[in-house]
Formats: sequence, structure tokens, C-alpha cells
Amino acid sequence: MRNASDTEERVGGGVDAPRAGGGFTLPGWSRPAGLAVAVALVLLFPELVPNAYVLSAGVIVASYACTATAWSFMGGFTGYVSLGHAAFFGLGAYGTGILIRDLSLQPFLAWLLSGLIVLVITIPIGIAALRVRGASFVIVSISFVLILLLVFQAWEDFTGGANGLNVPRPFADLYRPDHHRIFFYLFVALLAVMLLTWWVVDRSRFGAGLKAIREDEDKAEALGVPTRDYKLAAYLISATFTAWAGGMYALWFGDLDPIFQFSILLGAYMVLMALLGGVRHLLGPLVGAVVVGTALEYFKLEYGDTQLHLVFTAVLLGVVVLFMPDGVIPAAGALLRRLGPQQSSIREITAEELLERNRAAAAVGGDADGRGGSGVDGSRDGEEDGR
Amino acid sequence: MAKRRRRAVSWAAALSASVLLVTACSGDPRGGDEDVVLIGVSLPLTGDFSEPGKGVQRGYEAWVESVNRDGGLLGRRVELKILDDQSAADRVVQDYEALIALHEVDLVFGPFSTRLVIPSARVAEEYGMLFVEPAGAANEVFEQGFENLFYAAPAIANDHYDHLADHILSLPEDERPQTVAVASMDDPFAQSTAYGLRDRLREGGLEIVVDEEYPPNTTDFSSIAAKINASGADMVVGGTQYQDAVNIIVQLRQLDYQPKLAAFSTAPTNPEFSAAIGSRTEGIVSPTGYTPDAPYPSNVEFVELYREMFGTPPAEDEANAYTTGQVVAAAVEAVGCAEQGECQERLVDWLHENEVETIVGPLSWDGQGRPEGAHLIQQYVDGEIRIVLPGETGEAEFLYPKPEW
Amino acid sequence: MDGTLIFQSLVLGVLLGGLYAILAAGLTLYFGVMRVVMIAHAAFVILAAYLAWWFHDKTGIDPLFSMVFTVPLFFGIGILIQRVLITRLRPATLTMMSVLLTFAIALLIEGLLGLFWSGTQRRVQLSYSGSNFEFFGARIAVVKLIAFGLAVVSLALLFLLLKKTRFGLALRATIQHREAAQLVGIRTDRVAGVGFGLGLATAAVGGTALSLDATIYPSLHWSWIGPLMAIIVVGGLGSIPGTAIAALVLGVGQSLLQVELGTTWAQTVFYVALFVTLMLRPQGFFGGRLAQRF
Repeated sequence: MRNASDTEERVGGGVDAPRAGGGFTLPGWSRPAGLAVAVALVLLFPELVPNAYVLSAGVIVASYACTATAWSFMGGFTGYVSLGHAAFFGLGAYGTGILIRDLSLQPFLAWLLSGLIVLVITIPIGIAALRVRGASFVIVSISFVLILLLVFQAWEDFTGGANGLNVPRPFADLYRPDHHRIFFYLFVALLAVMLLTWWVVDRSRFGAGLKAIREDEDKAEALGVPTRDYKLAAYLISATFTAWAGGMYALWFGDLDPIFQFSILLGAYMVLMALLGGVRHLLGPLVGAVVVGTALEYFKLEYGDTQLHLVFTAVLLGVVVLFMPDGVIPAAGALLRRLGPQQSSIREITAEELLERNRAAAAVGGDADGRGGSGVDGSRDGEEDGR
Repeated sequence: MAKRRRRAVSWAAALSASVLLVTACSGDPRGGDEDVVLIGVSLPLTGDFSEPGKGVQRGYEAWVESVNRDGGLLGRRVELKILDDQSAADRVVQDYEALIALHEVDLVFGPFSTRLVIPSARVAEEYGMLFVEPAGAANEVFEQGFENLFYAAPAIANDHYDHLADHILSLPEDERPQTVAVASMDDPFAQSTAYGLRDRLREGGLEIVVDEEYPPNTTDFSSIAAKINASGADMVVGGTQYQDAVNIIVQLRQLDYQPKLAAFSTAPTNPEFSAAIGSRTEGIVSPTGYTPDAPYPSNVEFVELYREMFGTPPAEDEANAYTTGQVVAAAVEAVGCAEQGECQERLVDWLHENEVETIVGPLSWDGQGRPEGAHLIQQYVDGEIRIVLPGETGEAEFLYPKPEW
Repeated sequence: MDGTLIFQSLVLGVLLGGLYAILAAGLTLYFGVMRVVMIAHAAFVILAAYLAWWFHDKTGIDPLFSMVFTVPLFFGIGILIQRVLITRLRPATLTMMSVLLTFAIALLIEGLLGLFWSGTQRRVQLSYSGSNFEFFGARIAVVKLIAFGLAVVSLALLFLLLKKTRFGLALRATIQHREAAQLVGIRTDRVAGVGFGLGLATAAVGGTALSLDATIYPSLHWSWIGPLMAIIVVGGLGSIPGTAIAALVLGVGQSLLQVELGTTWAQTVFYVALFVTLMLRPQGFFGGRLAQRF
């Protein structure tokens, strides 16, 4: 089933697989129209919901979308999996609350400032965590949440300890559904800023450097990418956005408790959402958050808040890691692509395999030059997917 | 180009599907069943507070049974809608949100544990609902500026040990305990009880030699026990919930520490307590807002009904929940309505102005919802829980010094 | 500050350090053979503790005997996890993805524990739970001493196995250089599977020891995994003697700090040690050469 799009791919990228394998060509207006429909649906959501409960669930999903997208600045671009992003979420939330309480700042000024404070705190943490690769980074990221949980529980005079911290409402005397509506739009606005930032980074030299680190850190370094600075910068961006999401949550929710702000589970949700949606895509984490967040809320409403949702989260995470580490969307795409020639990103293939495949291709004699370019294609693939 | 278009469309589709899913999972607001008064409540049936949470649930169920046997509220049958919040603050908020906005309950009752009361009271407040609660006894609860909140028990936590403090300070100087060790969970309720007693004793001239605090999820008490033991305090005060009290006692026994007086909040009122520490309960003191032997007419009824339903006499959590029901019922019958909206305001106003007869005696509240009464002091005497203080209502002599554990 | 209290804390610290040592030994073993940070290790420890509690609750037999079942069971599960799950991951992203995978396993165990036995805190009720004896002015609880003894014996066995047997030789070769070990004819994947099984078997022993004198609940594993990970980094990833020393030092440190700072702040000693180690000596203070590269 070859069609016009295949030819187009070949001309454009040489060897990129025909993603629309067996598919059809869509009219040129479909992309903007699709996005417009999605945006309109999101913006109209508060008007469409039947009751305030669904609206509040919508706010939660929107906050998930913010955190998952923020996480992806580190996890997606560089491939460094942080399980401890809840730390930044909690710091942002508590920072906002404490600034309002102690300095009587205007709530949204406190919110902005709190994100910047987290940015500063993250610098030494990032330097320590990024000194070593892989395993130690994960250990530090988890430890950071656990240590903050302890500190925020123990330092009662400053944080309110286990009694929690009450963040005053930014809009006083508002009927609760109106409060939800305002915060839904605030979260969506924050998300829009993040997506825009992502879009800009993705097209920059900086973004290309980060993706080089993800594909092969040693080679990137050898090619002159300042890997340490780039990783740190990505970590800082990611932490700051997460903190802003946390601060917004604090203003919306009002009651902070160390156990829930510095929760390992929250960090796990971020990873799951981002991975499920696909970390290499602009909208991947968003899609993941909408799917997982909605499922979680639905689960809790229908089956009560039993441990079942924990099992559900665990199984979903396990399945994603084992069978579709690049996300559901690419996995679904891959399923469609099975018909076409096989190919994969450079990181998923060893040199021997590549050699073997090239030999086989040469033996067949057909498409030799195309297959030989597979490595180049892999990195191109990463670039493309970001769009 | 086609692949990008496809992807954009699939994203749009995924998004819209999810939005529709959210919209669709809006559940089933009950279809205008006017013959039922639906009461919403969220309880910790699992998690840290699951033991007392289940007690509260039994108390509510006993109350519903009792009301329905008498023909219901305003002639309408009463039904409970209970959600499990897993002892988590973020869940309790979503639960009350769902109860009020989604299930459209007519009334709400409070959850268990002070730390969950404050967030859920805010939800009720912002929906303009009356919020009578069985568990939020700490002072913080009443300092939030809630106007719709009432605590359905005789006294707030700081005053729970008042009778014990009075008794100790009334002893002659040389018979009193001289030194006190305090360990409290970092929990608004537990701290309020222990620190209420601590402050009274300190003012009375006793020396506080250990003052420890631990977070709610602590399980290792060996170092706290070591400190208490090293101080050799005459009296130990535990601001505890349940399992932490059991652990502290086991660790103290491991160090062979023998105080003359041991007071722990909450845990000793739990039926599981004596089994959990191997029946070394003799002489342990605890404040309680309730005794099944109280002579109030509705209490006799309650104890009989409870025995019939569950086979055991009710404990404090059950009683507080039942009291909550009584308080709300009194307001509903007096005002003559039970639904969301302006009715709730009239219920609140009525409670601020009136006194209610309950199983723990007559209750009335100040402007912030604080009840104006005192707690009893119970002690394990000959393996039984007996009310020992205040002296005039006591069922047994106050046992002092405490036998070895 | 009086001497008795300090000595008492020191004794408690050593007893605690022993438990940390056996628990962390498993964690460092996985990392050695597979470069896997096994987040689910502490969850398996809690699972073993639950099984011990359940065993005692149902049969009334001493919880220590539950090890007859749990140790072989966990050994088998360990081999299965390595052979069925870990090997499925792509080598290039193994470290990161294995963290997520074992994290998912930890969540799964926590969720299932909650489903079966609810979130209620549990404690084994032993007739000798309060028994103690005097030791130079300090008090030692019998249950704590049994847990410590169990830890020391199993650590010694593990050490002998690694140093004195052919299998131990193969395992150490695999830890040191996987490719070279393959070249000299060691079937590294099989060795790694058994290594994983051994690691999980230590979780069974450690969990049973823990159950004697601890209150357990499903989410308890999170408060163990942090200190354990700190211990293996400080001790040098992959080094068992380093882990044992770090465990004792940090256990005693925690116990002594508790006297001054209270329980919560004292726990931060692990994380402070972790950050200091990464800043000053990422390869760990007691041997272990792996951290730098991974």
C-alpha cells in the first residue's frame, strides 16, 4: 500500500518510514483546524461541564498537565529521568504560601517570586545531581523529595509542620465553582506559556544540544556540546516551571501538607504521564496528563479511594516502560508502520545490529543506500518528533 | 507533511475524547427523590486513621438506624452516602466537592481527624453548607474563621485533661509527681491534648524534663523512649493517636521504665488497645468525652441500639458521630428544612442560638463553633476502663501510683 | 547530656546499623551485577515483614519461621524479575528504565498490600516484645538483638559465598567487568539472575528481622528506600563491605543525633551524607569504582 505520502517522505528525508502507511492524505486545513477544535474545547470546558465537581476534576487534570509538561523539559529533552520533581512542586507551593503569610505579598507576586526562589535553590542541587550520570541522578532526585518531606515536617515554626499550611484565597469570598473556573484558566495559561517555551527551545541550538545529550552524551560532549551547562539549564527550566505549577496549586487548593506536596507518588505521576504521552512530542505530556489524570479521577470516584488506583498506576507504568518507552502515540504509530520497512532511532540499535542490517540490505541489493542512512535518520527522527 | 497532519488530528481527537470522558463521568445526580434526606460524609476507611474512621462510620450508621426507626427526618427517610478519603487531605476535599456538587446531598457531616476537618470545612463553607463534625477538636479548627462549623463533643482538645490536671495539683506537694516527660505526635489534635496538660502542670510547678515531638508516620520510637527513660520522669504524657501510643509503651517497657503515672490520648479508648500492648494496661489514664454509663436519656437508647447492631458497647468515636447526627437532626426539625441553599444558613443560625440535648449532655457553642464543656478522665482499673475523674461522677478510685507494666 | 543516654543510643545505633547493613547489601548487589537501582527492594522488605506478621497471626508460630517460606520464594522472584523483566529493557537506557520499572513494582507491592491487608498499621504481638537485659548500664531488647544477629549471620554468609565459592568468583567477575567475564566463559546473564535472587533473599531476611520490632504499613517502604540508597552511594555502589561499614556508621550517627535533634532531623543525616559524597567523592568513601561511570 504505497501512496503519495511515501514519495513525499522519500524526497524530503531520504529514508523516513512512511508513517501514514496504508493511510490517507488529509486536506491541508486539518492541522490548524484540529488544533483550533482542541483549543476551543479546552477553553469552553468550564461552560460545558454539568457540575462543579467535574470542573474541579478539570482543574486537577490541568495541573497535572502543567507538571508533566514541566517535567518533560528535563526528562524529555535530555533523557534524565527524575522521580523527584514533586520536590519542586512542593517548594513552589510552600514558597507561595509562606511568602504570602510572612511578607503579606500580593498572592500572584508571591507565586512568581516563589518560582524564582526555587530556581536559585535548584542550582546547587542540579550541580550535585548532575555530577554523575544515570543511577546517582535518580537516587538524588528521590532523596531530594524525601529530605524535603522530613524538613518540612520537622521545621514547624517555618512551614507549619505536619499541621499543614493554610494559603489564603487570592480571590476572597468567591463561590466555589467560580473559584474553580478562574483557576482552570490560570492553569491553562501557565500551560500555554510552557508549551510556547518548549516550542522555542525545540527549535534552538540549545534544544539540539539537549537532544544530542539524550541520544549519546559522550559523543555530544566530544562534538563540543557543553553538556554540563546544557543539562543544568534544562534542569533549572524544568524545576522552575514545576514550582510555578505547584504555586498555582497552592493558591487554588489552599491547604498544604508536607505528605501530599512532597509525595513520591506525585513525581511518579509526572513521569508516567510524560512517558505515556511521549516525551519527545510537544503535546505528549499534555495528552498523557489528560488520559492518566482523567482515569485517576474516574477511578477514585467510581471505586472509592482504595489502593486499586496504586495498582493501576503501577501496572500502567510497568507496561509503558516495558512495551512503549517512547509513549503511546509513537507506539500506536509504530503499530501502523509495521507494514513498512523497519527502522529505529540510533539509541535503540547497537552497532552490530546496524552492520548486520546493512549487510542484509546490501545482499538484497535493493534499497541499500536508504538503509545505510539509518543512523542519520535516527537522529533526524528525534528532531522531527519534537514538532 | 501528511504525517504531521495526522498527528495533529489524532491529538485533537485524543483531547476531545478525554474532555468528553470527563464530562461523561459526571456520575448520576440522584433523580429528584424527594422522600429521602441524603447525607454526605467522607471518612478514612483506609490509611492512618482507618481504625477511628470505622468507629465514626458505625456511629453514623447507628444514628441513621435510630432516626429511621422513629420515622425519619421531617418525615423523610435518611440515607448516608459515605466516601473513603484514605486519610488524605487532597482526597477529602475532592470527596466533599463530589458529595455536594455531584451527588447533590442535602446535608453533610464532618470527617474524622482534625487535619482533615479544616480542608473539608472550607469546602462546606464555600458551598454555604452547615458543617457539624465529630472529630476536629484542636484549637486551629476554630481559628480559621469558619462560620458554619460546629464541633459535636463536650470540649475542645486543650481542655481534655482539665480534670486530671486539677486532681494532680490538688495532691499534697510530696505526693505529686515532680517531673513530667511529654512526647507528642505532630498532629493538631494529639498536640492540643498533651500540651494542654503539659502547660497546666508546668504552671502548677511541675518540671517538664522531656518534651519530644514526632511526625505522624514515625514508627521507630526507641530514641524517644531512651530519652524518657534517661530522664527518669515520674509521669509520662503521650499526645498520641493509636499505633504510636502502642509503640511508645512497648519501647518504654523494653527499657524497663516505670512511671508513677502514664497518660495517653485516644489510644486507650480504642477497644484494640489492651490486646495490642499485651494487657499491660493497668493504671493507664486517658481523657474521654463519653462513657456508655452516662445517664442522659438518649444515651441509654443509643447504647441499647448500638449493642443490638454491633454487639459491643460504643466507644468515644462512635458516640461523637452519633452526637453529630443528633445535633444536625435537632436543627433540621426546628427549622423545618433539609436541602442545599438558603436552608443551610437558617440551620447554622439556629445552632448558634440554641442548646441541643445529646448523649453527652446538653451542648452549646460559641461564635466559632467551640463547645463549652469538659472531658472525663478514664483509667484501666482491674483490666476494665473506668471513669475515675472528676471525683463526683467517678466509677472507681483514681489509681496512683500506677502498677508496673 | 549524660553518659548512660549516649551509651544507650550507641547500642541502639549499632543494632539499627546491622539491620541497615543487611538491607542495603541487597541493594548494592543488584547494582553490582546489573547496574540496576532496585527501588522495589524496600517494598519487598515490607512485603516480607507483612508475610511474617501474617504467618504469625494465622499460625501463632514465631514469625522467624516464616523465613522457611519467604527466603526461597523471594530468591525465585528475584531470578524471575531479572530474567523476565530487566532483560527486556534496552541496554542503552537500562539504568533509567530499570528505575522506573522497579519503581512500578514497588507501587504494585504497596497497592496489593493495601488491598489485602488495608492501610492499617500492623505489629507482630510477641510474648517477648518487651523483654530486655542489661548491658553495661544500657538496656538491650531481645527482639532487637535477634534482628541484629540475623543481619550479621546473613551478611557473613553472603560474604563467604562471594569470597570462597566458584559462584562468588563468577559473580565478582561479573560485577567488575561484564564483558571480560563473558570472555573467560562465565555465563553472566545466569550469574546476574542468581545475584538478583540473592539480593531479594536478603530482603526476605531483613523484612523478617524488621517485623519483630516494628510497626508496618504499606507505604512504609518509602521511608526505608531513601536511607538505603544513601548508604549504598556513601559505601560505594556495588561494594558490599563498603555498604556494611557505611550502614553501621550512618546508623550510629542517626541514633546519636536523635538525642540532640529529635527523630526527624536525625534522619536527614543520610541525605546530607549522600550529597556530601556526591560533591566530594562520587565513587563513595569505602571502595566501589562504579558510581563515576554510571
